[in-house]
Amino acid sequence: MSPRLVSLLFAAGLATSAFAFDLGGLSKALGNADKLKKGLDTAKDAAKLVSGLGPEEERALGDTVALEIIGRFGGLVRDEAAMRRLNLIGGALARYSARPDHPWRFGLLNSDTVNAFSAPDGYVFITRGLYQIVADDDQLAAILGHEMAHITGRDALRIIETGEKGSVLMKQVAMRSGNTREAEAYLNQVGLNTEKIVKFLVERGYSHPTEFTADHTGHDLAATTGYAPGGLRAVLLRLQQIPAGPQKVFSTHPPLTERIKRLSAEAATAPVSRPGQSVGPAEKSGLTPAASADAVEKPAPPEVDDDDRAFAEAAEKKPAKKKR
Amino acid sequence: MNPTPPARWWPAVLLALAATAPLPAALTAGGTAYTKRLETNLLAEPAALAATVGRLPAGRPVQIAEVRGAWLRVSAGSAAGWVFAGNLSETKPAEGKGLGALGLSASATTATAAARPLSPAAVDYAARRNLTSARDDLNWLIEFCQGFTPAAVDSFLKEQKKGEYQ
Repeated sequence: MSPRLVSLLFAAGLATSAFAFDLGGLSKALGNADKLKKGLDTAKDAAKLVSGLGPEEERALGDTVALEIIGRFGGLVRDEAAMRRLNLIGGALARYSARPDHPWRFGLLNSDTVNAFSAPDGYVFITRGLYQIVADDDQLAAILGHEMAHITGRDALRIIETGEKGSVLMKQVAMRSGNTREAEAYLNQVGLNTEKIVKFLVERGYSHPTEFTADHTGHDLAATTGYAPGGLRAVLLRLQQIPAGPQKVFSTHPPLTERIKRLSAEAATAPVSRPGQSVGPAEKSGLTPAASADAVEKPAPPEVDDDDRAFAEAAEKKPAKKKR
Repeated sequence: MNPTPPARWWPAVLLALAATAPLPAALTAGGTAYTKRLETNLLAEPAALAATVGRLPAGRPVQIAEVRGAWLRVSAGSAAGWVFAGNLSETKPAEGKGLGALGLSASATTATAAARPLSPAAVDYAARRNLTSARDDLNWLIEFCQGFTPAAVDSFLKEQKKGEYQ
C-alpha cells in the first residue's frame, strides 16, 4: 500500500471518528489506527471526508446540542397550544424551506432569556421570554425562519467540517512524516469534542456575517410562506424598546441596531408581498404575552469573530510540546 | 354591498393575489430551477387546488417558461405544468452531502425518521452530563412533533391561506 493511500485512509478514519462524540480521547485515536489497519469501511469514510458530514452525524450532533440547549434554558414548556402554534407555523415555513420533507421540531424553552436557537437536524427553540414578546404570527415566523436558515445553511456543520478538515490536513502531514505515534498524539490534542462544539454553539453563537445571512434567508422564507416580510424587523424594534434588565436579549446574535439597519435596507428594495393573517400568541396559547416592562438587558455586541473559522481555532487545543 | 366577487372574476382575483406574493429574483422566465421536495406536483393551472398533470422527483432541473406572480409554468422533458415558486429551489441541490442535500434519502424524511429515538451518542451524552431531565423533555418533543404530519401542515396552510394557498 502506498504511503499516500495510507494517509488518505487514516484521514478518512479520522473524519469518521470526529463525530463519534468522544474525539479527543487517545483510545479513539488508537481505535482509528486499528480501523486503518483492518481497512474497514474505508470507501465509505473517504466518501464522507470528501462530501461532508452525513445524516447520521447530523442527527447525533443535533440531538446532543438540543439536549444542552434544553438543559441550559430551563427545560421545555409543555404547553400544548403554544407547541401546536409553534409547530404549525414552523411546519408551514419548513414546507418551502430547502429541506421541505425533513422532520422539523420546534420547542419552547422555559426561560426568561430573550433568545432563539437552532440545532442541526431540524431543531428550533425559542425561549418563553421571546415567545411572550412577539406580537403576532408574522413576528414568530420571522424568528423561526431565521433559526431554520442556520439549519438549511448547515452553519453548525460547516464550522465543524472546517475544523475537522483542518485537523485531517495536519494529520496527513504527520502521517507523511511516518511518525504514527506523533500523529496520534496530535489527534488527541486537537480533536474536537462534543462539549466544545456545544459550548461554542450555545454560548458564543455564529459570526455576524452568518447571522446576517440567516436574517436574509429567514426573511425570504417567511415572505414566500405568506407571512409579512417585516416580521423580524418589527420584533427587533420591539426588543429595542424594552427597558434594560438582568436577562440577556439575543446575546448570541449581532447587535439589534445593526440587524434592524440591514433589514430596513433590504425592505426598501424587496418585492411587495401580501401580509399573512396574524393571530396573536394570547389567542393561540395559554401563555399570555409578558408585560412590556419585562426586564431584559439592552444587548451588547457579542464577542464573536468575523469568521466562523474562529470556531475551529477556539475549539482546538494547540498541540502540547512533545515530551521526550 | 356584497364583498364576494362574482364567480367569473375569481381567476382574475386569484392571479392578482398571486402577483403580489414575493418571488426570488432568479426564478424568472427562461431560467432554470430545481425541484426540492421528494415529489413535486405539476398542476394544470396556477392554483393549489388545480388538477395534477405530472410529478417530478427531487433534484430535477426544470425550465421556467412563464411566471405569474408566485407561480411558474415549468417543463422537464415531456412533463410540464404549474408549480408554486416556494416548491422550487434556485440552486441545484448539493447531492452527496448528507444534510446539504435535499433529503434524497427517503429514510431520513419519512414518518419513521420523525419517530426515531434519540441517537445513542446523545443518550450517552445525557448520561455523562447528568441531563436526564433534558433527555426526557427531548423525547417528549420528538413524540409530540410526530403529530404534525405533512397533511396537518397542509390543512394549516389552507386554513391560514399561506404558501401556495395564498
